[in-house]
Amino acid sequence: MSTAVSPSPVSVDGFSFVQESGGIQQYELEANGLQVLLYPIDAAPVTSVMITYHVGSRNEQTGHTGATHMLEHLMFKGTDRFHKEHGTSIFDVLQRVGAEVNASTWTDRTNYYEMLPREHVGMALDIEADRMRNARLAPDDVESERTVILNEFDRGQNEPTRRLFDAVWSAAYVAHPYHHPTIGWRSDIETMQPEDLRHFYDTFYWPNNATLSLIGSVDVEADLQAVAEHFGTIDAAPHDIPEVTTREPEQRGQRRVNVHQDGELGAILSSYKVPHGRSEAADALDVLARILASGKSSRLYRRCTDKELTTDVFAFNFRMRDPSLFSLFAFLTPSSTHDDVEAALEEEIERIQQEGVTEDEVARAQRQLVAKEAYGRDGPYRIASQLNEAIAVGDWTLYTEYLDRIRAVTPDAVQQVAQAHLHTTQNTIGWYVPEA
Amino acid sequence: MDRSTLSYADRVHDRPVGPCRLLTLEMPVSGFVSWRGSFRTHPELGAHDDLVQRLMVGMLDKGTATHDRFELAALLEECGAQLSLSSDGLYVDVSGQALTDDLPTVLSAGADMLQRSSFPEDEYPKVQAQALADVQRSMQNTSSHASRALMQRLFSVDHPNYSRPFEDELQGLQQVTREQAQAYHQDHVTPHAFTLVVAGDLSHDAVESAVRDAFGAWSGTAPAPTHATEATACAPGTATVPMADRDNIDVRMGHALTMRRDDDDYLPLYLGNYILGGNFSARLMATVRDELGLTYGIRSGLSGISTEYDGSWTIGVTLSSEALQHGLDATRQVVRDFVEGGVTEEELDAKKTTITGSYKVGLATTKRVAQSLLTNAERGFPVSYLDEFPERIRAVTLNEVNNAIQTHLDPDALHTAMAGSVPEEAEEAAA
Repeated sequence: MSTAVSPSPVSVDGFSFVQESGGIQQYELEANGLQVLLYPIDAAPVTSVMITYHVGSRNEQTGHTGATHMLEHLMFKGTDRFHKEHGTSIFDVLQRVGAEVNASTWTDRTNYYEMLPREHVGMALDIEADRMRNARLAPDDVESERTVILNEFDRGQNEPTRRLFDAVWSAAYVAHPYHHPTIGWRSDIETMQPEDLRHFYDTFYWPNNATLSLIGSVDVEADLQAVAEHFGTIDAAPHDIPEVTTREPEQRGQRRVNVHQDGELGAILSSYKVPHGRSEAADALDVLARILASGKSSRLYRRCTDKELTTDVFAFNFRMRDPSLFSLFAFLTPSSTHDDVEAALEEEIERIQQEGVTEDEVARAQRQLVAKEAYGRDGPYRIASQLNEAIAVGDWTLYTEYLDRIRAVTPDAVQQVAQAHLHTTQNTIGWYVPEA
Repeated sequence: MDRSTLSYADRVHDRPVGPCRLLTLEMPVSGFVSWRGSFRTHPELGAHDDLVQRLMVGMLDKGTATHDRFELAALLEECGAQLSLSSDGLYVDVSGQALTDDLPTVLSAGADMLQRSSFPEDEYPKVQAQALADVQRSMQNTSSHASRALMQRLFSVDHPNYSRPFEDELQGLQQVTREQAQAYHQDHVTPHAFTLVVAGDLSHDAVESAVRDAFGAWSGTAPAPTHATEATACAPGTATVPMADRDNIDVRMGHALTMRRDDDDYLPLYLGNYILGGNFSARLMATVRDELGLTYGIRSGLSGISTEYDGSWTIGVTLSSEALQHGLDATRQVVRDFVEGGVTEEELDAKKTTITGSYKVGLATTKRVAQSLLTNAERGFPVSYLDEFPERIRAVTLNEVNNAIQTHLDPDALHTAMAGSVPEEAEEAAA
């Protein structure tokens, strides 16, 4: 059964057709440069409306860390039209029709989404268009939301693994803004001023710095007309959107951090600098992550978990806009030591560098990724969330071309990326050491 | 034809296949299926059978009469399938996803684990160590501590909603032997009330055939249930779990509910609670988070409600230590105003459209549909209940909601449990 519907590109006044890939059509709203992705799927009468702003914590500067995330919160405080004073707060209006509503901030993007019955798509477009340029950002709202975010921060700091993650990324990046956590440093959250947020908003929240996606029950022509109706009157930014120009200097040796916090069992996060998410190397690293730590057939399961060194081991290749980290998370058993687990992780990396991986391992990893991709199409929200990450990396066709890219990975390519990037000199390793 | 406009009762194929009640639903996805299933095991909770059951389930994928643990894993991992067997109170649950063509292989592997697990001696210490480590990992978590502390105040050890103290759990898990786990498997792992729901890109007949091949010969009946059905009668009070290095404090408030899922009052109370703490625009979030800025998250819910035993009404909130007392006071005030003042017609109308709309949105994935069909079946409700649910919600009156609130919810009966670096003055105030 085929579910994606692939109509021909349509001609709607005010839009230029840009490209099509994997059933997704891209248009540009000529008036202001807004990019629009439409993905009609013959499924439930439900649509995901998502707007992704090409701004994340990588765009923040010292003293204003956490601005992207704080602004994301403030965007729900509304506009003059959508405000609790009138009984039209954004959550009230959308949740009243059963929409699933939320937003998220990460290093390379900020996204707002509504998954809602098809007949209410216009309402979601209306709200997103309105708050693109008309957010109130009132000082008293900033104050009440500041303490909400501080509680969110404290919730994160309760978790030793969150502290470990932050510590490793901070040590791995000394110049690039991936150095600071997306939620920001606590002191910056405490001191962020409404005018700081206004400046950030006026710098980045423009149609030519955003991609709007409609997924699921989509009528291409009618929905483009609705997009034009709601977004067409918004001007493009009167300035160039600032680029991030800081490049991380070459790492010339292993870095170590220890995190001490009350707790029970230790953990290790071992991370290596790797190329950005659009590179071919990133495809081979995705396959390598599977070979290392996906399932009981994986190398690290057999080497560590089956031998009672760890309770769990995970490998992640964080595909990001700028050079990123390939990471191994290992959760220790009560009887194992950090030294033993660290040595085991290093040995398995070295073995792959020296001996390579087998055809069978690569083929299994590819089959797993093919299945995972199929499961990832279970409903418009899951599709939207994956498309969102591809947009964030800087090329949405990474989503539609992903399987072809993965199928092209060879055992040699996996060995080569391990040799090229998983050097000790490129490694930042963190230990979570529980204190009783 | 737009299949989504047909009712579930029209679209779901529901029939016995061997010892299994099989429900299948074709959905417009491409090349994969999701499944959810369960069978009843009836652990003797008062005798700590739940811990035995957990270790027994942990052993199921460690080897069978014909495959060792790596061969079993390879069967699934070669095709990227996911199969999970988990202990869930009075049930063992089966869930997963697979490409449609791989479903027979995956069901066969699952049946092998359930029916022919060999309980290899070498693997048992590993499973036990893993279970202990999982508990220790949970002990780092304020949310787990607070939830457990509340459930211990509301229910007795032999009630399905009870959660034992971590220390007891560690001790209990250490005492269970491999032989006990294997004997438990022998006596309790049967297709008793076995229900399996498969949803996705499927042929009903092909799934039926695969289920018959995998489970057709499975037989047996679990022992009779022994669990408590009623909550513990206990005066309200506060439990505090002090934890170092945890500036965010997890708070749970709640009291037992003597209602069942099939009571007439259930839907009115569900609606009423939704107005209090069901979503972002509910009263608790609107006041304690949005207006006062005291918390990142606050919610209320009807928890552990079944057709067989008592559940609870619970409120969960996270508070930074400096906002703890203010947050507790504000939460209690919103709850008191809600119970004493009731809800308005406008609030009720808004939440009715929220619930019926989100019901439609929520059933847009194979996983959620499979879970909803399974839960519905476990409650003993017909498939048509899922079709009728929106109309039942719309039919609830303001009077019914306010009566249900008055009858079942009592702010003065709320217990409180807190976990984290609780300031001394708050501990003293609670004592």
